[in-house]
Amino acid sequence: MKKGVMVFIAAAFFAGLILCVPLAPAWSADPIVVGIPTALNSDYGRDSVNAVKLAVKEINDKGGVNVGGQKRPIKLIISDTRDMEPTTPAHDALMAVEKMILQDKPHAILVGFARSEVFMAGMELIAKHKIPYLGSYAQTHMFQQQFAKDPEKYKYIFRVCGYNVIAAKAATDAIDVLRKEHGLKRAFFITQDTLLSKGFVGVLKKHCENTGWQTVGTENIASDAADFSAVLSKVKSSKAQITVVFWDVAQGGTIMLKQWTSMKVPSLMVGFVIGACSPRGWDFMGKNINYIIQTEAPIGSGIPLKKLPKTRAFVEKFNKAYGKPHGQWLTSASYESVYILAGAIERAGSLDPAKLVKEIEKTDYAGVIGRIRFDKNHQVVYGDDPKETAVCLAYQWLNGKMVPIYPPAVAEGKVVLPPWMK
Amino acid sequence: MSIFIYGLTQSVTLMLYGYGFSLVYGISGIANFAHGGFYVLGGYITWCIINLLGLSQFTSAVLTVLIMGFLGFVFYWGILLRIRGIILSELVITFVAGIAILEFLNWKGLYGFYYNLLPFVEGDITVGEVSVDYQRLIVLCSGAVLAGLMWLFVHHTKIGLSFRGIAQEERTALSLGIESDWVGSLSMALGSALAAVAAILILPLGVLEANVGYEVLIYAVTVAIVGGLESTPGMVLASFIIGFGQILVAEFIGSSWMIIVPLATIVVILALRPSGLFGKFKELEERV
Repeated sequence: MKKGVMVFIAAAFFAGLILCVPLAPAWSADPIVVGIPTALNSDYGRDSVNAVKLAVKEINDKGGVNVGGQKRPIKLIISDTRDMEPTTPAHDALMAVEKMILQDKPHAILVGFARSEVFMAGMELIAKHKIPYLGSYAQTHMFQQQFAKDPEKYKYIFRVCGYNVIAAKAATDAIDVLRKEHGLKRAFFITQDTLLSKGFVGVLKKHCENTGWQTVGTENIASDAADFSAVLSKVKSSKAQITVVFWDVAQGGTIMLKQWTSMKVPSLMVGFVIGACSPRGWDFMGKNINYIIQTEAPIGSGIPLKKLPKTRAFVEKFNKAYGKPHGQWLTSASYESVYILAGAIERAGSLDPAKLVKEIEKTDYAGVIGRIRFDKNHQVVYGDDPKETAVCLAYQWLNGKMVPIYPPAVAEGKVVLPPWMK
Repeated sequence: MSIFIYGLTQSVTLMLYGYGFSLVYGISGIANFAHGGFYVLGGYITWCIINLLGLSQFTSAVLTVLIMGFLGFVFYWGILLRIRGIILSELVITFVAGIAILEFLNWKGLYGFYYNLLPFVEGDITVGEVSVDYQRLIVLCSGAVLAGLMWLFVHHTKIGLSFRGIAQEERTALSLGIESDWVGSLSMALGSALAAVAAILILPLGVLEANVGYEVLIYAVTVAIVGGLESTPGMVLASFIIGFGQILVAEFIGSSWMIIVPLATIVVILALRPSGLFGKFKELEERV
């Protein structure tokens, strides 16, 4: 009897030991170190980091990434480049990234530089250190031009997010509808004094000029502007029917939207204005943004699309984990960049940068942002059909709802003219 | 008409930015580089009182002005008193305090378009063919009322006259029984309260972001330098020159040149009048 009790206690003890083993995998292998140097004090930086964390958690929960037969977890190193703050010089942001590279020795870098000007300078830094870099923040079209100058040198750099030209093209269809179906023809163009803004608005201006629109004014404004009364007076006096604008600095964007309403500017805003280009926009800006046409780059960054279940699943997961994204751009691209890297590591069976680059180049799968593959300049290919390419879309704010209007493959409505323009 | 109205609004905005800074420097000789930090902190305290305590906008505004005045008072007695008269130390301490406040608020998440103060009155009015929202009119009227009240205060109250006495000649004022540290601390309290008043009035037109503080400081210093560091009337005139200059430049040359106006004005005015428009320091120095 006594022996039986002892055996029972021993069995219970060992069973307890087994049950006490943590459910999460006990990692014996060295982690894959992934660096996330980006502008943390910005909506897109915050959303991107959260999206990356979400993907990393999913991968680690499944056992990690298979590197040559051994499952290894992903470990994130996050640092702040602060390059979306107007007072941060480019040099400081570059230093932050170089410090991370030298100190933490990441196997790859995701998200990356925020401001296009800093990214362009940072390309040299990444090329020097030869670390695979999957950018999903800075969106200047000049990346491809720079890459094409010396593909061998810049081969470690890839870009997953869309870029200004592609995002702008999503809005061209809305502009065409406004001309053809509603007879509008007078356009005003406002740029913020940055590469990204000039590229974005430049595409739409060229399109308008080629399709019969009359340019009634163009203004370039410093990024730290805090008063738009003069330019909005010009918009008003020019009798512009649409105003194409790109503004991604919070202070200026918010002031512009509020002044737009208070000055009763009878022109429809098209493009990108922070405050309007966010799933949280209506909560904070309300009627100031009604009827505004904005862009989402790429899809899945905030709008759950009826026609694409993957966007619905991702937006739902993200919202559940972190609440609505703050911005309407980049979130889904940052999420996918983790899976692109993990896929490349598994195919390469190694963390060797040169092998990884070759495998990243071979990426081809259907993700949240559409079909993901890179062109010869290491830019994810964007277009209108999510079965063939990644996609950016245009949407219109209608009484608190973001209604996708372009491209047709994802559209859920048509452009609506504001009542005060009829 | 739009140039007049928006030029006026921009000018009064700059005046409100610069009032507290100019007052503190004029009386105590301290260049308060924490002014931008105090401005944003004032806005944040108002936001917290409205959104966390649920008090009305007016009550929150009054409480914020009192709190900020008290903080300015404590800042003087707690920190500035020990380094009073050491100009470089005063600069460093106030600059560090300003950065610390702004970075703390940045760390707290005060960026993006999420922190907003609502206008006191919603809606707008059409003047001529120009639509102006009520909040801008409130800014204009408040600026005028504030300037009047400040004039009455420094000319017709005992404390105000003490302020002027210290500002004109500290040693003589001391010999007449005016305690310079008390006056200095009260001027810092008033300057901080004025920063809060500016924030409460102006922030509903835009967004409450930590980075705004740097811009406010730059404009406050600019109008103070152009007007003459110790001269409040000079600061008011400088605000109107720069405010209207910016709107005219945006209208006739291009909006991207607006940012040049304050800098160009500093260069031109200081080249012609090294003490600023109404300043006397350089003239006195040259006479000596």
